[in-house]
Amino acid sequence: MPESSECKKSLPLRPSRTAPVNDYSNYHVHSGSLPQKQVKNADNQLDGYPKLQKLFKLKEHQISEHATAPYGCRISIDEMIPTLNSWIHRNHIVFDVVMIGCLTDNQFIYPLLTQLPIDRLISKPGFLFIWGSARKISELTKLLQNQNWAKKFRKSEELVFIPVDRNSPFYPGLDHDDESLFERMQWHCWMCITGTVRRSTDGHLIHCNIDTDLAIETKDTQKTAVPVHLYKVAENFSTATRRLHIIPARTGKEIPVKVRPGWVIMSPDILLNNFDCDRYKEEINRIGLNLTTGPDIEALRPKSPIQKKNQC
Amino acid sequence: MLNLQLVSYLIDNQIALLSYPVCGRLTDIHCLYSLYSTKYSECHSPPLTFPEFIKDIKDLARTCPGCVNYTSTQEISSELGGNFSLEFIDVGMLKILYNLFRPGGYSVEEGQRAKQELGETPRTRLLQLLDEDDYVISNKGYLLSLENLLNICPASRELSRECAKVTTALSNYIPVCGNKSHATILASGSQIVGNNLISIQWQKLRCSEDQRQVIENCVNSRIHYIPNIKPQTDLNLGDCSYLDTCHKLNSCRYAHYVEYIPDITVQEALKNTDKLNRNKHENLKTCFYTHGYSCTVGSKSQIPPQWIKCDVRKFDFSVLGKFSVVIADPAWNIHMNLPYGTCNDSELFQLPLDTLQEEGIIFLWVTGRAVEVGKDSLQKWGYTVSNEIAWIKTNQLGRTIVTGRTGHWLNHSKEHLLVGIKGNPSWLNKQIDVDLIVSPTRETSRKPDELYGMIERIVGPHSRKLEIFGRDHNTRPGWFTIGNQLDGHSIHEPDVKKRYEKFVGGECKTAKFMHSTKPGSSTFGKICSWKNC
Repeated sequence: MPESSECKKSLPLRPSRTAPVNDYSNYHVHSGSLPQKQVKNADNQLDGYPKLQKLFKLKEHQISEHATAPYGCRISIDEMIPTLNSWIHRNHIVFDVVMIGCLTDNQFIYPLLTQLPIDRLISKPGFLFIWGSARKISELTKLLQNQNWAKKFRKSEELVFIPVDRNSPFYPGLDHDDESLFERMQWHCWMCITGTVRRSTDGHLIHCNIDTDLAIETKDTQKTAVPVHLYKVAENFSTATRRLHIIPARTGKEIPVKVRPGWVIMSPDILLNNFDCDRYKEEINRIGLNLTTGPDIEALRPKSPIQKKNQC
Repeated sequence: MLNLQLVSYLIDNQIALLSYPVCGRLTDIHCLYSLYSTKYSECHSPPLTFPEFIKDIKDLARTCPGCVNYTSTQEISSELGGNFSLEFIDVGMLKILYNLFRPGGYSVEEGQRAKQELGETPRTRLLQLLDEDDYVISNKGYLLSLENLLNICPASRELSRECAKVTTALSNYIPVCGNKSHATILASGSQIVGNNLISIQWQKLRCSEDQRQVIENCVNSRIHYIPNIKPQTDLNLGDCSYLDTCHKLNSCRYAHYVEYIPDITVQEALKNTDKLNRNKHENLKTCFYTHGYSCTVGSKSQIPPQWIKCDVRKFDFSVLGKFSVVIADPAWNIHMNLPYGTCNDSELFQLPLDTLQEEGIIFLWVTGRAVEVGKDSLQKWGYTVSNEIAWIKTNQLGRTIVTGRTGHWLNHSKEHLLVGIKGNPSWLNKQIDVDLIVSPTRETSRKPDELYGMIERIVGPHSRKLEIFGRDHNTRPGWFTIGNQLDGHSIHEPDVKKRYEKFVGGECKTAKFMHSTKPGSSTFGKICSWKNC
């Protein structure tokens, strides 16, 4: 009588109407398992959204098609400001996307931001991403009180990157102190905009709402000072091809800084030292200043409400 | 002939001859050497005179250039000898020299490195250098011990963690199954009526007997989310951005899910947690580490929920007394032109939050532009920002929210909670929790309850705790809640009650005197609508 035994079995497995809600902070205290381990789409943020996955693939393909060769500029931290100044004044180079910092402690971000004529290094409109430990980024708040700076750059988003556990190369170990009430698990980023862009009309310059302001380290991230995600957020947002990444920190031989197509990376520890102003300008002339967006991407990317069909 | 005795003397006493007080002065070395040779000399020849001694040294230097260095470049002579001194004695060279005459007299390191290098390319040598610890061993040792020193976790932290583990009541925990195939198979036998899961018909599941066994075991311990497939559902579209909160459940073509966990599993989990928790409160009575807690922590009961409905902007905060912890969740006016229901920067700035604590901690929810306003406000009220907690907002499936244009430039998957600290509260139990909360979203602007547990672990169960801009769902034992959407008031602390009655009485008098508007009129309505975003 297999039928009846199945029936008996199915009866106790009646669905519950009032399932308890899990408290992952409480679970962490008792088990030591970190709350971020409970995020179900940590390995693939796009899980469950095939259209978004397709959009990401299209974007990635298009970005790589219009990328400059990978460039590295290996110089000491002290030389960064003079070098950038000569790029600005002698070589007349500007960038549309500038990223500063990486996921290490001991970065000289504030001095760099205040000593550099950064508004001349970035075109208008232009985008600035500043990555660092949560405390380092919090210190930048005083920049906003500086009228000169605040007038030129608007802080538009605050991004967060979270290591998967305590053994991660991105566990902010040195950021701990006795003052801290909680164990620190975050890296922060300011996304700033200079000049004017409107998300409803400037689709040729920016693609909004593709990425989110939160990323959790995925399994495939290698030991490097700059997880690929940091580059991808900037690439997905701005269609510009002139991208510069300044790393004002020594990362050492154990945490290498890798080159990336489409980016000029300035760091004391970058693996390649091949940047040449004239060659770069020539290449940009050939590629163009912005990616041209195809109809596929235009159809898939999230847009302002007026044009958007109600999803559900 | 070379004076071999002198050579061996120089080798053996190199350090003593060059360092203080001799300092390599040849006159002194001559004296010392004469003394040595009369005492220990093998052949009992008379001691050398100074010119003879100088001659021997010169011979030595000539035979083996570089084995001794003088401080002066002048040609050495016995007349000037008094002013000459040795700067350097190359022991290695002298040893080789000595061995030429008396083989095996001294052991000579035959330049091991030089030998090795011979047959190797520069690349292998470089790699060897990088791998070899000898070269950096001294620094490495220092670095390691420094790192260890920095990583030492204070005993207080270990103890507070242990104490929290022993005394915090366990909440129910049922993990979510991560295997997608389970959900698909369960969908084939699920009976769903009106978006509610009625039962699983196990005999109808489209799978092998083995698979069914695996799934049945899994179902007994994990939560599953089964696709709620309807005629209009198009699985190729993927999941709905709103899932269980979708307003158009009956027409939306995207995938939605129903939660499935057997009743018996839930009951069992509840029973288990109850059993484990029975001892938790008892543990407090015998707990050896109660740092920061009330001395009667084991026997004292918590004060029932207290609240006062009031317009926070006009409330006299001195009525409330002092608190160890304050939570504030103001309805920030993020978009400059939102009509009402929000609180603008200056209003928040003017709140007398500096009077609520002598020392303690504050939690301020902020979003967007308010992050900076919040930091400024905290500073103005006498706090330093010690942490920023990120609330990772999850949906029904426990995934982060990545769609739905939730932010202006990028989508928003998290919210910020500023943590401020005032004074030097030594009674806090620090770093038990991490600066993250992973919790599902609920009604608009409702914040996760996990925070209450995290706070209690820091300040203990009996310290006074205040929530500003709270609503009914925020009231809870041990907490005092104020806000304009609460229902009346409920005060159990006699002193607060007394002050509150005095305050209300005073307010009534001024109201009468001013002929001001009565409750229910326009201003009242405005206050009510203050926090309903």
